[in-house]
Amino acid sequence: MRGELNIGNSQLGGYEMVDYKLNRRKFIGMTALAGAALASPAYIRRASASGGEVNIWTYNDFVPQSFKKQFEAETGIKINIRLVDDQGKQFNLLAAEQPNPTVDIMTVAGHRFLQFIDNKLLAPLDTDRLTNWDKINPTFSESDWATINGEKWGAPILSGMEVLAYNSELVSMEEALTWDTLFSEKYSGQTAYIIQDMMSIVMLMLGYDGNMVAYLNDPDKAASIVEEAKQFLIQRKPLVRKYYDSGAEVQQMFVNQDIALGHSWNGPAAALINDGFPLGMTIPREGSYGFVYTYNIANNAPNLDNAYTFLNAILASPEIGASMTKASGFISTYKDASKYLTDLEKRSTSFPEDQLANLQFFRAEANKMKYGLVDPAVEAVKAA
Amino acid sequence: MSRGNRIALACIYWAFVLYVFVPLILMILMGFKDSKFIGFPIRSWTLDWYTRIFSDAEVIQTFVYSVIISVLSTLISVAVGIWIAVLLEGRKFWGRAFIFGMMVLPALVPGIISAIAFRIYARWLEIEPGMGAIIWSHAVHNVPFVSLVVMARLSTLPKSQIEAARDLGADPLIAFLRITLPYLVPAILGASVFCLLLSFDDFVRSFFLGGYEPTLPVLIFAMLRSGMSPEINAISTVALVLTAAIGIWAERFTRKAKKGLT
Amino acid sequence: MSNEASASNAPDGLAKTEGERLFWGRLANWGPYQTLMSVVTLSPRRQFFILATFPILWLLTQHLGPMLQMLRVSLLDAYPIAPDVAQEFSLESYFKFFGDRIFWMPLFRTLIFAAVFTLSTLLITYPVAYFLARHVSRKNQMLMLLILLIPFWVGEIVRTYAIMILLGNTGALNLALKWLGLIDRPIPFMYTSFSMGLGIVYLTALYMLLPLYSALEKLPKSYNEAAADLGAGAWTRFRRVTLPLTIEGISSGCTLVFLISTGFYATPVLLGGPSTTVFAETIAGFFHVAGDEWPTGAAFAVIMFMVALLITGVFQRLMKSLRKGDSS
Repeated sequence: MRGELNIGNSQLGGYEMVDYKLNRRKFIGMTALAGAALASPAYIRRASASGGEVNIWTYNDFVPQSFKKQFEAETGIKINIRLVDDQGKQFNLLAAEQPNPTVDIMTVAGHRFLQFIDNKLLAPLDTDRLTNWDKINPTFSESDWATINGEKWGAPILSGMEVLAYNSELVSMEEALTWDTLFSEKYSGQTAYIIQDMMSIVMLMLGYDGNMVAYLNDPDKAASIVEEAKQFLIQRKPLVRKYYDSGAEVQQMFVNQDIALGHSWNGPAAALINDGFPLGMTIPREGSYGFVYTYNIANNAPNLDNAYTFLNAILASPEIGASMTKASGFISTYKDASKYLTDLEKRSTSFPEDQLANLQFFRAEANKMKYGLVDPAVEAVKAA
Repeated sequence: MSRGNRIALACIYWAFVLYVFVPLILMILMGFKDSKFIGFPIRSWTLDWYTRIFSDAEVIQTFVYSVIISVLSTLISVAVGIWIAVLLEGRKFWGRAFIFGMMVLPALVPGIISAIAFRIYARWLEIEPGMGAIIWSHAVHNVPFVSLVVMARLSTLPKSQIEAARDLGADPLIAFLRITLPYLVPAILGASVFCLLLSFDDFVRSFFLGGYEPTLPVLIFAMLRSGMSPEINAISTVALVLTAAIGIWAERFTRKAKKGLT
Repeated sequence: MSNEASASNAPDGLAKTEGERLFWGRLANWGPYQTLMSVVTLSPRRQFFILATFPILWLLTQHLGPMLQMLRVSLLDAYPIAPDVAQEFSLESYFKFFGDRIFWMPLFRTLIFAAVFTLSTLLITYPVAYFLARHVSRKNQMLMLLILLIPFWVGEIVRTYAIMILLGNTGALNLALKWLGLIDRPIPFMYTSFSMGLGIVYLTALYMLLPLYSALEKLPKSYNEAAADLGAGAWTRFRRVTLPLTIEGISSGCTLVFLISTGFYATPVLLGGPSTTVFAETIAGFFHVAGDEWPTGAAFAVIMFMVALLITGVFQRLMKSLRKGDSS
């Protein structure tokens, strides 16, 4: 039987079966070899950890490279770092891993403690095991937000705050001393802020307690305050250029001169200053909030002893604190760390006394109520 | 086609090419900027970022890791996707719409949800986070794209060809292998390219299902927290050059294989 | 051996070499293979069963499984659960969606954006695909596609920042316009629907280009020539010959791009303005906070994919009817 089989001209028609097969085999073989060769150092690396390992979740640059090498060489414990880029992701990741987490040490911001503690994700810190605990500035290590239920939950390493950052070629220092400038007609379309952080600041501006601790027993008042702050922001929505979420965005906005001033964390702002960009930052007179990054031990951590060894080692000297500051722009919690900074770095990580007097720390006690009200308000502002 | 129309079309074409390449050129340019941040004006240039990348084997390793994951997950998604497409484009059966819906499902769920859902599912199935888990999640996510593309191509295969083959005595499997599959090759190639891209660029799944070894997007996202730096741009440029090199080499290889026939 | 005999008389395009014919011939006549095939092809029903088993198992366990898990989470009142708290089931998370404008507005907006961007992508890439399929030499077509593919290997984030440097106040575009003397002060391109659209189309163009190209590529030139001979003008030729025959390429391209567009999170967040919140952002927000918001996030995700599924289903049905209506 004769059939008309016409497949048509596809671009890659039939091949020389035998020849093609050989070439294909060669191709696959080569690729596999190449891949194995390039990946092998990793294998060798993993196999040689004699003292065990410690698994850490932290932000980029929070564990200095030089420290990591030295620690691994001296103790034989391998440091495995997994980079996170915000608190929320850390929480999600940890929650999804319960009840047997793969992580030993995490980097939780102090005012987020309760969320983690309530979900039994953290283990209390046994400060007796940390001989270098006293190397931390007591303003941080012994502050009341750090002690919950009589226990300590983390070792403070870096401190940040909400600041008003401004392009010093476009905005004057006097203008930057008040948050009102952020909402002025003069700079309409040239400002940016993070809505959620700004809600707390607006509450301060309106004369209320941004931590909402004072209203723990008065939920109606709390709700009305949040409503007022929300309306404040909604009314001024036409003036803002962008609502952003991450430090990298506000940095890019300054570099591209898309904004003249904005709300920012001091870390990203300091990084710009250190790079030579004409940026200034202030803690305006209405006040602002600060937060502290800490290293915490996970509940049920797989390598508990190694975790304590790591913590003790990283707290050992102020130079380590200084290198953290150099990398992130945030302020070190170690005593005397500033001695190891350059002049420019010192300038970008310090504020005049009178401005610091206006600074408070974020507190965790009323967070559940506060964010229960603030988060929907943030959505409302975005959707307005 | 008239001359005027043809010129207009050519203009649109080249404008599109420009549109596609200009941001790329900017990215490559920024990799040479001597500053911690990207943006104009560029006051001074440097090769430091590149020397940093090449002296730190970690970046190259991460790139290879990402490539291996992409290739493996693509192989799986293409195989599974074709099988599902063949089922759906065949004769009608009860529940076909339901199967179609299930097939398309992973593509409809926003990345972060899918990633978290998979993470929890993996834990339930006792799958350890790491390379295997990432490959699995990528493969599942990419199947809809493969199936859709293959179904589109399959729907244009004249049924008569298969029938003729059957009449000539071929059984269904041989008919599939010798007629359907070669006809699908363009679609398969296109689908493979999609899958490789989707997998290589994926961030959320790689983040949630990965272990302590980052893929390239995860590494970049983490570095991003310290600001978008020329170093990140340099890394992307290097990844780009390497992938382009592989792509062009693969194209040459295919041309040679084609030459082998006539 | 009738198979082999007829195969050897087949025209070009099938068995190319002796080796290949021998291989298939041998396989078809191999004992175990023939036994296997006779078992498989015992009845149409059995054939179908063999064909369908693996896909259905895969789909149930890999596609449906995780989503059922998420559905379960969406019906709880808190997840992940603190160890000593009891879980309850409720539909509260779903009611939340319909109850407040701040929730369904972003979904609505996202769908509109996705549709608009999909259409824009189609309008931009169709001429490109046409030019590539018709006016670029066969030899160069693959190469050109590869060249166009290259930028897509750079990750979403880095490409998005590149767009920022293009469109920012001191970005490449503004600097160029200033240098040309066309403007004095920079035009604020960034953080608008325009910048967001540019960024999204930039990321999805390829997914539209490839299906369109593959559909146009296999269109025989002779059809157009015949239509021209019959007196049809350029536009008519396009509308009545080219366009209908490329419907399935348009359909799969649009479906792909629409689906991908609705899922974007990073690009809209980075490039958009205060009024362009997308739904993926809303959902992600729920996962950034404490446990009792996860069910809401999960519920919103369920709603979103139901809607997207509906739209895609309707669209595909539409396209299929268009295709059937014009069958030649």
